[in-house]
Amino acid sequence: MSKHNNSVPLEYQGEENDLKIFGFWIFLGAEIVLFATLFTTYFTLVNRTGSAPTGPELFEIGPVILETFLLLTSSFTIGLGVHAMRLGRVKPMIVFYIITLLLGAGFLAVEIDEFITYVDHGATITSSAFLSALMTLLGTHGAHVTFGLLWGIAIIIQVSKHGINKRTANKAFIFSLYWHFLDVVWIFLFSFIYLKGMM
Amino acid sequence: MAQLFPKEHVLGFIGSIVLTLVALSVIQFDLSLTAALVILWVTAIAQASLQLVLFMHIGETDDKKSIYVATIYSVVIGLVTVFGSLLAMIWGY
Amino acid sequence: MTMSEIFAPLKEPLIMGTAVGIMVGVIAVIAGLTYFKLWGWLYNNYIKTVDHKKIGVMYIFVALVMLFKGGVEALLMRAQTAVPDNKLLNSEHYNEIFTTHGVLMILFVAMPFLFGLFNVVIPLQIGARDVAFPRLNALSFWLFAAGAVLINVSFIIGGSPNAGWTSYFPLAGIEYNPGVNNNYYAWSLQISGLGSLMTGINFVTTIVKMRAPGMTWMKVPMFTWSSFIANIIVVFAFPVLTVALIMMTMDRQFGTKFFSTEDGGMDMLWANLFWVWGHPEVYIVILPAFGVFSEVIATFSRKNLFGYGSMVASMIIISLLSFLVWAHHFYTMGHGVVVNGVFSITTMLIAVPTGVKIFNWLLTMRHGRITFTTPMLYALGFIPIFTIGGVTGVMLAMASADYQYHNTLFLVAHFHYVLIPGTVFGILAGYHFWWPKMFGFKLNEKIGQVGFWLIAIGFNVTFFPMFILGLDGYARRMYTYSAETGYMTLNMISFIGALVLALGFATLVYNIYYSLRHRKELACGGDPWDARSLEWATHSPVPEYNFAVVPTISRLDEFWYAKKEGRDLQAGKIEDIHMPNDSAAPFWQSVVMGLFAFFFIFNEIGIAIALGVVTLIFMAVRSFEIDEGRHIHIKEIEEEERRLRGDR
Repeated sequence: MSKHNNSVPLEYQGEENDLKIFGFWIFLGAEIVLFATLFTTYFTLVNRTGSAPTGPELFEIGPVILETFLLLTSSFTIGLGVHAMRLGRVKPMIVFYIITLLLGAGFLAVEIDEFITYVDHGATITSSAFLSALMTLLGTHGAHVTFGLLWGIAIIIQVSKHGINKRTANKAFIFSLYWHFLDVVWIFLFSFIYLKGMM
Repeated sequence: MAQLFPKEHVLGFIGSIVLTLVALSVIQFDLSLTAALVILWVTAIAQASLQLVLFMHIGETDDKKSIYVATIYSVVIGLVTVFGSLLAMIWGY
Repeated sequence: MTMSEIFAPLKEPLIMGTAVGIMVGVIAVIAGLTYFKLWGWLYNNYIKTVDHKKIGVMYIFVALVMLFKGGVEALLMRAQTAVPDNKLLNSEHYNEIFTTHGVLMILFVAMPFLFGLFNVVIPLQIGARDVAFPRLNALSFWLFAAGAVLINVSFIIGGSPNAGWTSYFPLAGIEYNPGVNNNYYAWSLQISGLGSLMTGINFVTTIVKMRAPGMTWMKVPMFTWSSFIANIIVVFAFPVLTVALIMMTMDRQFGTKFFSTEDGGMDMLWANLFWVWGHPEVYIVILPAFGVFSEVIATFSRKNLFGYGSMVASMIIISLLSFLVWAHHFYTMGHGVVVNGVFSITTMLIAVPTGVKIFNWLLTMRHGRITFTTPMLYALGFIPIFTIGGVTGVMLAMASADYQYHNTLFLVAHFHYVLIPGTVFGILAGYHFWWPKMFGFKLNEKIGQVGFWLIAIGFNVTFFPMFILGLDGYARRMYTYSAETGYMTLNMISFIGALVLALGFATLVYNIYYSLRHRKELACGGDPWDARSLEWATHSPVPEYNFAVVPTISRLDEFWYAKKEGRDLQAGKIEDIHMPNDSAAPFWQSVVMGLFAFFFIFNEIGIAIALGVVTLIFMAVRSFEIDEGRHIHIKEIEEEERRLRGDR
């Protein structure tokens, strides 16, 4: 109800900014259920491999650790980006956002390479129920990262054009929430698909 | 420069790396399934909370109560979906 | 596919006839709009609008049209089964009709009608200017409309979905259903489901963040409370449907193996995920109707709602329990005792909070001064009929007994006994109750009441025989039966009931026509029912900005007490009001997304990808757009207020 409270950070100020951030949290709740459904499918189908390769036969720890490191670091850098934004420092903010997107692109490159390796081993999305579930779950996360890259570019362009104001700060902050959330999802993919699958 | 790297963010980042290394122990050592799953759950929940609290600032506004409720509600629904389905489709079948 | 395959449904004379009818109707509407030069008016006032009240009216309009299509399908089903070995419909056509009847009635009638009421009423009840995200609200509506268009187009181009509204695998899979029929199912639900999800987020945000000053949670009107709970369920249930539909599409169009019968696929996983969404969906369409009944019963009993706190508590419990009962839809799948036992217990538990609500309504009426208006009649009819639906639900909840009832007409009778008195009576009560708020004149009472009696009696005559038929072993979804079974008498009674029911729904249309012609006599002020909640504190029809001055709330039913004490709730100082700008982008984006789905359905992936890119461009443009909204100035507001008060 306090619409013009100046004690809160810039991104919350103004009539609609506060609503947008709140609405985005609700959207993230929906995303949690979306990924939970994909996990449901994966766990239900994990042992239904047909005559196709199984998880332990496919998973390799090397690329997975690299992906985890890239995404964790990108989550750190975008946190620094928001921090710089709150200090009102445009240049460091943009630098941190660019580093974040580069790390995200690196993650995506490793993931695509991983998929190619799977296909080389004769494991495609149509080979078995297990692989359909695995690749859809990983692919949905990867699609979110891809969308995040496009979105992030739009944010960087706007911040460099208009500087940090209520509108751009709000957009940049919401994007940071999205990006951190992708990291949270990855932690669960990492723990319960890869590590559990390699145990 | 130091101003741009606040302590809680740096510590959070180090924490997330440590948690990842701890989680990796399940494939390094020969643990029982229960022990391994406990490690995975504890590290994953710790990592997720770390992101939510330190990086996403979940509790920084007056709406924190609503946001906490919404997030916890969605996690509960998510867990019900996962474990309820596993009960119906695998364990109890 | 060849052209003759695409237009294969037209070989059926009934469909050809309907198609011609639709075509004539469309041409008549286009000609009428052109003749009266209304295209510009339509585009500027409705297609571009972000006003929650107009969006609400559009939702209700589309829902009514879909209600009639679904109703015609219901009549055809009853006509087909009225006599044994009937040749009116063939089996394939019958399959399509019971499938689209279910899909339309749940997703394109019940939900949009309620969303329409949310849109019209909720911002007014909580004293807000609009919803939290007006532009997103318009997008939600147009996506829903695109989904509705798709499911109706399927009827003529390519063939309608035909695997039941639940579309269980393997029947709905590509091996047994190679046509495009079930691609339509996946995509029309996907597109409209996205709209529903956005509506859910929008209204949760609106209700949490935009209540009038002083309106704490326990002062929120009951319709808003119940809709709030329903919207929470929307937000957390619809992602499950989204994922399930994506997997259906991938199985059917890209050869994945989620639900297949080979390579490890699990067909029952579809049923499981469908009902993880599907059971909460039942509460999405029933809770807001409970909210309507609460408002209507309190208003026409001239008493405050009995047990407000227990109403709220029971709905919160329902919101959680609704996610814990889904497996009761497939007890006969063959899981063990533990699973069936657990879900039996949760299912019986959910009857408890619902029962609490029934007693609250009864006790609200106790010692009340009841006036029997049309909305009140629907509320009164709801209680006994719904109780039958609830009690048969508890019968079905017992897993071992369910083996007897499963997939018989007993089940069909049960869920119609829940959804018609619950949801349909609820939306009709709300429709008659809030019509004056939308348009500034009442619907004719006499026609409304005749309609109620026709619907209530017709409904019972149609569906009660189905309980008996079901217990006699009549399976649902059978397109015909032989004379020796002895099923004819009850089926015939049911058909006659359906005709009465149809007549009842026809009175709704006649009432619109009649009341529109007599709108001068039926014109009314802001508060025609002497009602209790905030939406009646402003004028009817409602000005664009809703309230000239946002009222401050100190208690539940503030408006009622203000009336009794002679206080003016909008007495403060008028200030400039900030409003969102109109935009045609949501409409065009939905057109593009609808076309995207259409080409996807026909496996034209190249065109679909191009249209997908256009959708991304729409989002990018929106991101770069600087839209500060506009202000309505004090002078304009004062002028409008004077005009509406009638002292120009």
